[in-house]
Amino acid sequence: MSSSHSSFARVDFRQGPGAEGVLTLAGELDVSSAAEARREVVDKLASARVTALAVDGSGIAHGDMSGMAVLYELAQGRIVPGVKATIRGLRPEYQTLLAAFPPGEALAAVREEPPRRPFLQQVGAATASMFADLRAQLVFLGGVVQGFGAALRHPRAMRWREVAVVFEKAGVNALPIVSLISLLMGLVIAFEAAQPLEMFGAQIFIANMIGLVMIREFSPIFTAIIFAGRSGSAFAAEIGTMKVNEELNALETMGLDPLRFLVIQRVFAGTLLMPVLAAYSMLLGVFGGILVMLTMGFPFAQIWSQLVGALGVHDVLIGVSKSFVFGAIIAGLGCLRGMQTKEGPNAVGDSTTRAVVAGILMIIVVDAIYSVLTYVLHV
Amino acid sequence: MSDTTAPPVIEVQNVTIAYGEKVVQRDISFEVRRGEVFVILGGSGCGKSSLLKTMIGLYRPAAGRILFDGEDIVTAEGDERLRLLRKFGVMYQSGALFGSMTVLENVCLPLDEFTDLESEEKTLVAAAKLNQVGLLPAAAQKPSALSGGMQKRAGIARAMALDPGILFLDEPSAGLDPITSAGLDETIRELSKGLGITFVVVTHELQSIYAIADRCIMLDARTKTALAQGTPADLRDHSKDPYVRQFFLRQAAAAAGATRPPA
Repeated sequence: MSSSHSSFARVDFRQGPGAEGVLTLAGELDVSSAAEARREVVDKLASARVTALAVDGSGIAHGDMSGMAVLYELAQGRIVPGVKATIRGLRPEYQTLLAAFPPGEALAAVREEPPRRPFLQQVGAATASMFADLRAQLVFLGGVVQGFGAALRHPRAMRWREVAVVFEKAGVNALPIVSLISLLMGLVIAFEAAQPLEMFGAQIFIANMIGLVMIREFSPIFTAIIFAGRSGSAFAAEIGTMKVNEELNALETMGLDPLRFLVIQRVFAGTLLMPVLAAYSMLLGVFGGILVMLTMGFPFAQIWSQLVGALGVHDVLIGVSKSFVFGAIIAGLGCLRGMQTKEGPNAVGDSTTRAVVAGILMIIVVDAIYSVLTYVLHV
Repeated sequence: MSDTTAPPVIEVQNVTIAYGEKVVQRDISFEVRRGEVFVILGGSGCGKSSLLKTMIGLYRPAAGRILFDGEDIVTAEGDERLRLLRKFGVMYQSGALFGSMTVLENVCLPLDEFTDLESEEKTLVAAAKLNQVGLLPAAAQKPSALSGGMQKRAGIARAMALDPGILFLDEPSAGLDPITSAGLDETIRELSKGLGITFVVVTHELQSIYAIADRCIMLDARTKTALAQGTPADLRDHSKDPYVRQFFLRQAAAAAGATRPPA
């Protein structure tokens, strides 16, 4: 019964009187010999001129579905075009197998591909779904704000344990990677700036550059991207899995709003967490830059006074305030995509991807808006 | 029908299944004969599925041997293990179909990986397999579009793709309505009688047991061992163990209104 050893089928062809041929198949015609046997059959019949073909299968000692496929093709006239072979001498169990092959028209339906929609219809559907998504985001935003209001009025109803868990998972556990990336970014910027500034003998301005770049731009953005990758995706996956497992339905029928039960905590924690992480990243980035400058021979006091002179409180405020917005957006989008999870095995993966992509996109868009505003307002 | 004189296809010898310190089943021994439908039954949480997963080499038993045609799958490694794995196909409880592929592609996958058939022939074979389980019309659909019963049928078709001599089915009737479940039982019966495939089936549905089982073994969650084995009628009428009789009688009472009288 097993097909693990390599088996062997014998193929014989005899040209009968007139234009009739007799093909004999014997031995083991199974999954491991069928491909070889079919090639042999095709070879032997290629030179034959037959108008009628009989296949003798009485010598088949072991056969299976793959083996019977060869007989089926012969009987259907797929191997010798126009000649439908008659099969004889087949043992009853193999006849059962052979009978399982569907008729030609049923087979054609199997391979039929779903028709493609016309281009214009696709564009229309994409546009409609974009607006629907925008609407869903607005509704969701409204729900979150409402939930926040409720949480402020009844702080005891808020599930604070959940908030603490998010703080730990998304914040404390992210410290190593945030530390490493921030420190290295500081080092890299300092080294890259050192060469061009040397031409002007202005290497002391590395301090200005590090301060401005890290604090106003890179720290908020990089921590936000890390947050989107580590936690926005996790929110989407957690809530998405709950949706697939019908846990969201369970909450709903218990009269618990999933938004207040699951989403508010995550958005709240994310919004508070992001500025803290960004501030930490600023410190480490600047520290990295200072390290580079120390190795170049600048005394610490000089670096420090240059840094303090270059930076205003408003720079730090801009950096930190961005982080608030980033945190809220990423956590919110993560939860929203999780709630939007559809059915099927890829659904959770899809919403995770969508959460991260949308999160990173929004980070850049919001950052651009910030840059334009601060330029116009001269801050 | 099963052949009592031929050597058994599967021998389970003194197998103990444990997760760490927690013993699930102790000292299980039985034989499965060629061509029979062997049912593993028992209440919820007694380790039926664990035993099945141990038999197919997913879990390592804490003790004992599991022989396929005399070769132990527990100690087998590399090519030898692959060869043993090719002897059987498995239908998992939820079908375990690959969600990104159509039903037909699911059935084609083993053929793609393990044979050098032309793609035309692979499609033919897969279509024939789907036809055998009555699922050909759904061949081009994704598994997520299928009902639970259809997913199980597709799971059986995929398990049969390489025509293994043995099929393991994990809870084929769980979560199905009685009519769909009876239809599936009929398919199992047909495959067993028509093609001589050996079945090892995990279930707790008494109707299925009467409909398909040649012999069965009953596991127990409290004593953590096998209570009885034999034909379903034997167990019902002659078992000395009160739990076994209760199991059969309770379920028989529950099924009293059903169309199929106890065998």
